[in-house]
Amino acid sequence: MTTPHPAAPPPPPDDLQGLAGEYVLGTLPAAQRKTLEQRMATDIALQQAVAEWEARLLPLTQLAEPVTPPPALWARIDRSLQATSASPADAAAPQRTSPKAARKPLASHWWNHLGLWRGLAGSGFAMAAVLATVLVTRTAPVAAPPQFMVVLVAPQDKAPGWVVQASSPRQISLIPLGVAEVPADKALEFWTKADGWSGPVSLGLVQPGQPLQIPLDKLPPLQPNQLFELTLEPPTGSPIGKPTGPIQFIGRAVKVL
Amino acid sequence: MHRLYEQEGARLLGVALRIVRQRALAEDIVHDACVNIWTRAANFDASRGSARGWIYSVVRNLALNAVRDAGRQVDVDDTTTQALEADMSVQAYQEVEEAFELNASLGRLQHCLEGLDPARRHCVLHAYVDGCSHGEIAERLGAPLGTVKAWIRRSLASLRECMA
Repeated sequence: MTTPHPAAPPPPPDDLQGLAGEYVLGTLPAAQRKTLEQRMATDIALQQAVAEWEARLLPLTQLAEPVTPPPALWARIDRSLQATSASPADAAAPQRTSPKAARKPLASHWWNHLGLWRGLAGSGFAMAAVLATVLVTRTAPVAAPPQFMVVLVAPQDKAPGWVVQASSPRQISLIPLGVAEVPADKALEFWTKADGWSGPVSLGLVQPGQPLQIPLDKLPPLQPNQLFELTLEPPTGSPIGKPTGPIQFIGRAVKVL
Repeated sequence: MHRLYEQEGARLLGVALRIVRQRALAEDIVHDACVNIWTRAANFDASRGSARGWIYSVVRNLALNAVRDAGRQVDVDDTTTQALEADMSVQAYQEVEEAFELNASLGRLQHCLEGLDPARRHCVLHAYVDGCSHGEIAERLGAPLGTVKAWIRRSLASLRECMA
């Protein structure tokens, strides 16, 4: 008994489920897998069906016994993340990279910047950052991938409050993750300071809960590790051009690509 | 990323290893998945599932692409492979049975899988957990290829109905 495999286009609605299910299960032959992956790029219904199957079958990953990775594996991943941040072209096609291909370790200070995550981290902070990125992409879809990301967190409890995203070093978007509470007689002022600057520079007043686009044409291009903060100031902003009130949210720029 | 790796790394490596069956390749895949996740985090669409689920999907897809592209399923006629597969079949059969028994934490899916005939359930588990192709499952279960294909389609339909 042989069952002919269904031809790819155009499947009846129910077959969409069958195809998506077999894709997630992993039983589609290589050629059909590729065809389906290409179709997924434009076919929303298929994307949805695949996502549903992924969620449905995810518990089965528990049936594979955990295998403790050797310490060298993280060292290798870490090197690649450094290389990735140094050379976006390498990162663009990790799927196409031959798994056996030699990976060049690049000395850079990327992880030092990731040390920011560690430094700020309560548990799950990295996850919060990933989810923040999700929020960013959902609330402010942009054509170009972000080059810099900053998660601004409350200094006391490290709760993420805002995300700064820069698709070019000349313009940034400030995106709220919630509505910050500001006393009636105060305003939030946005500041930045890169390494080597004498002090923070004002980027203007910010409305709680409101996204904001800010051109940086009067400032040097964004740098990794550049500091961003929101402080509590008088309603018209700091009278002296420097922060005078308490820091409400603070974070440093991390180069994404 | 490091925190995520500390939390999920062992399980991710376990998932990859079950599918590709080579330690070095499995480590390559976890490596590639981490880089992939890191560089594509901005493209993640939350409406399509949990972040954790996404990471497992990336690892599984890389692993499945690796074994499918390597043409592992093409080699089923090769006698050496057959001998190897036969050994693995017995071993994997026991492993799956054992692991399956041990895991009561699959929730609704456990109940739905138990509703399937054992052979059909093994089709699903061999495919998902061991990354087996239709041909490999047919060999492991000693069932005709067409039967396995039909079982899988029907198992998926039953699972979908049961989980709804």
